[in-house]
Amino acid sequence: MTSTSKLMVRVALTLVAFTVLARIPAGFDVGFKFDAALAVIWAFGLLSLVLLTGYVGQISLCQATFAGVGAYGAGMMVSSFHADYLVAVVVGVAAAFALGVVVGLPALRLRGITLAIVTLGIALVFDRYVFQDHAFEWFTGGSGGWRVGEANVFGLRMDSSAHLMAAYVVLLALFCLVALLMVNLHDSGAGRRFRAIRDSELAAATMGVDLTRYKLLAFGLSAAIAGLGGAFYPLVAGSVSPQPFWLFTSLQFAAIAVLMGVRYVPAAALGGVFMAVVPDVLTRFGHGTFLGHQYDISYDWFSIAVGVLLIIQLIVLPDGVWGDIRNRVHHAWAAATAIGTRKVKVA
Amino acid sequence: MSALAAYTIIGLSLGGIFSLAALGIVLIYRTTGVLNLAHGAMGMFSTFVAWQVFYGWSHPFWPAWLATAIALLAGLVFAAALGLALEFAVFRNVRTREPVVKAVITIGVLLALQSAASLIWKNNQYHLPIYVVPQTWVWVMPGADVPVGANSILIIAVAVGLAFGLGAFLRYTSFGRAMRAVSDSPTSASLWGVPVSKVSAVSWMLGSLVAALAGILITAQGINFDTTSLTLLIIDALAAALIGGLVSLPLTVLGGFVLGLLETYPTIWIQSIGFPRLVALLVILAVLIVRNPRGFAAVAAK
Repeated sequence: MTSTSKLMVRVALTLVAFTVLARIPAGFDVGFKFDAALAVIWAFGLLSLVLLTGYVGQISLCQATFAGVGAYGAGMMVSSFHADYLVAVVVGVAAAFALGVVVGLPALRLRGITLAIVTLGIALVFDRYVFQDHAFEWFTGGSGGWRVGEANVFGLRMDSSAHLMAAYVVLLALFCLVALLMVNLHDSGAGRRFRAIRDSELAAATMGVDLTRYKLLAFGLSAAIAGLGGAFYPLVAGSVSPQPFWLFTSLQFAAIAVLMGVRYVPAAALGGVFMAVVPDVLTRFGHGTFLGHQYDISYDWFSIAVGVLLIIQLIVLPDGVWGDIRNRVHHAWAAATAIGTRKVKVA
Repeated sequence: MSALAAYTIIGLSLGGIFSLAALGIVLIYRTTGVLNLAHGAMGMFSTFVAWQVFYGWSHPFWPAWLATAIALLAGLVFAAALGLALEFAVFRNVRTREPVVKAVITIGVLLALQSAASLIWKNNQYHLPIYVVPQTWVWVMPGADVPVGANSILIIAVAVGLAFGLGAFLRYTSFGRAMRAVSDSPTSASLWGVPVSKVSAVSWMLGSLVAALAGILITAQGINFDTTSLTLLIIDALAAALIGGLVSLPLTVLGGFVLGLLETYPTIWIQSIGFPRLVALLVILAVLIVRNPRGFAAVAAK
């Protein structure tokens, strides 16, 4: 396939996915509509790891922090300055991008597990200090966070509870756009430079890749993607609080991204749905009696399952759920076509 | 003057806890190459087991020392079993994988342990301590008129003692030499007949034991604790371990005490729960950036 027809196929697939996904939550109640919007927000967080870890090979355990900075930035613009929500999103994304570049600075000298330690520390500092301390009330709105009951988009009033579907469709359209850009980035010049850094920083530098520029760009872009999802959080949830963006969300981002397949863009969408819908289904329907015993499945069971599944996956399916299923399908397809044409490939 | 002395005592006993937690990280990292991000969570779970035995299941007619001893024993036995179980079920299967993959696996362990604990013990704040030595044993520092609890002295003594004890164990016993051989090169050690599996099982067991000891001694300080705060001890422990370069046991303990003091002194002026975390992050950044990254990478790549 030529690259143009490949692009057309991707655009067509994205459009089909968008039209199907945009309609699915319409038939469900408000709770599931909220889950659908939340799923896209989390999917942005996972997509940011696909860029940073999957393409560029950098580890980050603070992606929820970037999303949180996007959320608080947008919330501050709407609540304190009564700005249009589009302006608020731009400010939130810009704040996340800036923080991403700053976090990228130590990454210029660190890699692997040392980078994991530093980003873990950053996530903890934002979780316990920046998002909760009095010193940062101008940014976080104090312990109550920012309330965003009503927001203006292009002068139109949006109510967080009544216009949940509209917010979901906008989020989904943005996600499809960014996902398409990410897939195309993979084979572009910048994408090749990113992957060169992932495979060997020394070799990439020898080939003339500007390590400083591209590493900082990768951290900034990744933070901006996570922040873009986070910036819509106040619109969807009606308020911002530290809890959704604390350290354990960052760890869950890392765990679920790796679990689903950190090198693949569709895995991020799959992970977002997994992260938002499964806990809600569990807490809603996971109680009753079984063989005379009362049982009640809480959110904690979901988190235990994520941990255990991650351990099993890393031992059994090293390329993630999506990656390994994809590889098996490709192998099966290749085997089937080989039988059909009676051609035997000699390796 | 007496305020400074009081803060120094608080900082040193906090530092002793960091040192203990960090010792386990260094021990496991040296012998198995796993940077254990779940170290705080492992200590937390064992601490809560001890706490459960002490407050939930001990008989009211038992004397205090017996209940304490049984709780300590239960916590430590559980910790040893947990370390062994993790080694046999998980880390034995990933010995040849990259260090980063092993670290990500420990994130899975962290999430599972943390959520299991919050399922069993809920997210309440606990403040009922397990006093390893009676709370009434207090020594008053001469000249400064500052009371020093025996539990604080115990923490400092255990941290320093364990650093030298483990150091001596690694240097003078044949099993310790085997552990050092594995940490230098697992392949050549196994070619020389060193039982690599047994060595990594023992280091997981010892590391988990030390983590449990750190957690139980925190409760003896009378500090409020919950499942998350004990799990998040990992960042302070990592900072201390990095000061020791993830290799040296005495430097790690020294790093723990320095970090404890650095985190305590600012609380004279700044009343903030989160500020000490910033101090820990700055220490980590300073150590990682100032230290020659090439030399460090050689350690980290092993």
